[in-house]
Amino acid sequence: MKKISRRSFIKTAASAAAVSIAAPVVLPRGWYALAGAEKPGYFEREFGMTDSLSQKVLAEALSKGGDFADLYFEHTITNSLSLEDGKVNRAYSDVSLGVGIRTVKGDQVGYGFTQELAEESMMNAASTAATIASGKAGKSAGKFTWLKMKNYYPLKKLLTSVPLESKLPLVQSANDKCFALSPQVVKVNAAFYDQQKRILVVTSDGTKAEDLQPRNYLYASVTAEKDGRRERAGWNIGGRWDFSFYTQDVVDEITKMAVDRTLVLFKAVQPPAGEMPVVLGPGVTAVLLHEAIGHGMEADFNRKKLSTYSTMIGRQVAEPFVTIIDDGTMPNYLGSINVDDEGTPGQRTVLVDKGILTSYMYDKISARHYKVNSSGNGRRQSYQHFIQPRMRNTIMLAGPATPKDVIKNVKKGIYVQDVSNGQVKIGEGDFAFFVSQGKMVENGKLTAPIKDINIMGNGPKMLKNTTMLANDFEMNKGGGGACGKGGQAVPCGFGQPTCLVKSMTVGGVKR
Amino acid sequence: MNKELYDLVAWTVKTAISAGAAECRAGVSSERFVDISYRDRKPENIKEATTKQLGIEVFVNGRYSIQTTSDLRKTALKDFISSAIATTKLLAEDPFRNLPDSKYYKGRAKVDLEVLDPAYKKLTPADRHNWVKAIEDAALAAGGEKVVSVTASEYDSHDELLLMSSNGFEGYQESTYYQAGAQMTVQDEGDRRPMGFDYAASVIKKNMPSPEEIGASAAKRTLNLLGGKKLKTETLPIIIENRNVSRLLGGFLAAMNGSSIQQKRSFLADKKGKKIGSKHFTIIDDPFVKGGMGSRLFDMDGFALKKRVMVDAGVLKEFFVDWYYSRKLGWEPTTRGPANLIIPPGKRSVKEIMKDLGRGIFITGFIGGNSNSTTGDASIGITGQLFENGKLVQAVAEMNIADNHLKIWNRLVEVANDPWIYSSQRMPSLVFTDVVVSGL
Repeated sequence: MKKISRRSFIKTAASAAAVSIAAPVVLPRGWYALAGAEKPGYFEREFGMTDSLSQKVLAEALSKGGDFADLYFEHTITNSLSLEDGKVNRAYSDVSLGVGIRTVKGDQVGYGFTQELAEESMMNAASTAATIASGKAGKSAGKFTWLKMKNYYPLKKLLTSVPLESKLPLVQSANDKCFALSPQVVKVNAAFYDQQKRILVVTSDGTKAEDLQPRNYLYASVTAEKDGRRERAGWNIGGRWDFSFYTQDVVDEITKMAVDRTLVLFKAVQPPAGEMPVVLGPGVTAVLLHEAIGHGMEADFNRKKLSTYSTMIGRQVAEPFVTIIDDGTMPNYLGSINVDDEGTPGQRTVLVDKGILTSYMYDKISARHYKVNSSGNGRRQSYQHFIQPRMRNTIMLAGPATPKDVIKNVKKGIYVQDVSNGQVKIGEGDFAFFVSQGKMVENGKLTAPIKDINIMGNGPKMLKNTTMLANDFEMNKGGGGACGKGGQAVPCGFGQPTCLVKSMTVGGVKR
Repeated sequence: MNKELYDLVAWTVKTAISAGAAECRAGVSSERFVDISYRDRKPENIKEATTKQLGIEVFVNGRYSIQTTSDLRKTALKDFISSAIATTKLLAEDPFRNLPDSKYYKGRAKVDLEVLDPAYKKLTPADRHNWVKAIEDAALAAGGEKVVSVTASEYDSHDELLLMSSNGFEGYQESTYYQAGAQMTVQDEGDRRPMGFDYAASVIKKNMPSPEEIGASAAKRTLNLLGGKKLKTETLPIIIENRNVSRLLGGFLAAMNGSSIQQKRSFLADKKGKKIGSKHFTIIDDPFVKGGMGSRLFDMDGFALKKRVMVDAGVLKEFFVDWYYSRKLGWEPTTRGPANLIIPPGKRSVKEIMKDLGRGIFITGFIGGNSNSTTGDASIGITGQLFENGKLVQAVAEMNIADNHLKIWNRLVEVANDPWIYSSQRMPSLVFTDVVVSGL
């Protein structure tokens, strides 16, 4: 169910112009430290969050007998810097600070949060969370141990302490380069976005974990004009990178992609409607894997028997050459996490192993339901939100064919190069994804460019109909994508090789 | 007026100016909410909190930035403001950036929008739980044996917004909000488990449907999805159910705002005064609907709002142009975006219309899809019912419609009499002819 209009009016109110954009804020104390050299205890140093205070708040959260409770502290700084009409003339930044307090009783959750990290406010939020239970006080940890974690996104320097003077030329250069690439370019929008999320998870079973999760990307979008027509496309590259990642090569790649992809649209048409074979190109098309298959394998939907996959564990769901993995450990990719948002270390989970459905993606509540360990998929948008099982980097491994072979196999169908968004109906498994760019396939060859069509399918059917996989696995390199579920957006990564799906519904036009 | 919020925003504006801002606009939004859901006849989630967010727009020597924060400690805010100004000074100059001419602040309507429910304060935790339980009960009762799962929920909030600018604008709005609904999953053939839902939202609780109606309707809508099939690709009339119209209309609206036009990504840019739809296509933006979900007296530029006819019998009359883009375009500004959008209802019910249409699709849900604001091309997945001679005969799924906005609205042949009042877009069901519905 969606939360609607009135709230979004209020929410966008303070930030005036709704869309993106921004600049770094120089914050007091501690922000210039090198991330790698930093000792744990950021929230204690900056906000006085001691173990004894955590104990007290957790005890209040369990004062009515919950099974367990946790605290999620967050301090996030988001900056963006954007260019319009040739100049970097708009900056946006946001500071988000707060703590979310959760009490769990069976599969029931009580939740309170506060933006003030003062004892009284936290105790109030904890007593709100506690009301999910109605018995005697439960047990809380006497002391906490730091969780041992690996770092999948080490930084040489915090992006918040990279001076604005270093970020400005990056954005300006994206603009200049796009104009230089084609005289048909009439407008360019470019932006650099960076977010630094600091979290501390403290659990009533005695774990504490702190993480610094960077997220950043450079973006360019181009409008071009030809013979009185206009087209627009964009491209971005990013992830959980150090600022040194953003070299001239990255600018060149983004701008070339943005311009080429815009110009090709002048030749593109909407394809004919109907059911036909679909070849998915490598990389970004894995949005479809994410929608069609990934969401249905999140354990909450299965625990509640809402997902079409809820009866399929152990069953052959795809050809033996299909292996699907949700991986939180791929260095610098958008969906990687050193620790999830309830204190479980980042890890790799095989969902479909050689065609057999082997595991769902678990948070703590669903792991308890299935009597397994959490797979480290417990994530949330912010301290204001509940934990849900969410994907990290969801990938389909490469297969034996060559991309050429795959295309050769199609007499009449379409080839998908880029996808802008998708959606799934969990229970039916029906999904849709929007193809912003692709080609017709005729007699085994790529022909006319196509654009702007929705493709529909059914997850389990599509898995069974995945008849060829090529050897050209590619990760989506974008840093701007987020996945929405239950009103929460979290960054996810995805990747796959060229892949042939025997049949899907292409929502084109009548020919 | 909430004095604490007023003092905070006034202090912010003053501090920004004394720290070197030439002009400044600041606002704070505050929300106290409760969110409860039930599943298996017990609470699944209970959540309650207060949020506050302060936003500040800084103008320094023709340079501009926006900053927002939830860290409202005064010392943190002081640093926040001074770093905002320091940042702004490093940006490129933008001659079009300044606060609006204060003449646009004047003439604010003096009407009671009735967006603050006097009954809100009396709402108790027990009322909320009973409300959700009643929705769940009704859904379960109406769903029968096919039900796999039902989640019923309510969300209510008390919201305040205060906006102030250094050239004399002050605006405050206090409102309430209620949302209640149920989501149901039922067992279909094989592994299929269709999920459906119904919900309603309003600023005034007594304008909400009864929990029994919401629950029963959620069940009915879900059961209607059973046996959903993909049909042959066919050119048919379609009826888009009232509550789903805004999803299609969104693609049209995206091309109506000043930034899309100035940035050359609007297929409507050169269409002002021209015919872009059939005579049935009229859109009114009315900020003053009593108890309306988008009702307000001022926008985020501080402009005093007016009721406007945006599209009149198929002719495009106005765009949504804020102060900044009005300066860039050299046009007169209107307002930043819609308040309450209305397509005036027609005379006949969907049922009556269906009888005359013969064979067609009644669209009750969209999936995926998108619309290109530069070209107007749109393509979107649908679910709904095939109807024949006024009767629903088959649930449809995995199908799609695709068209261009400059063509679709010319195919609008009738507007039904059933505006959906639980949204700021008060849309009736719309009837289009000759639409390619693609499937097999």
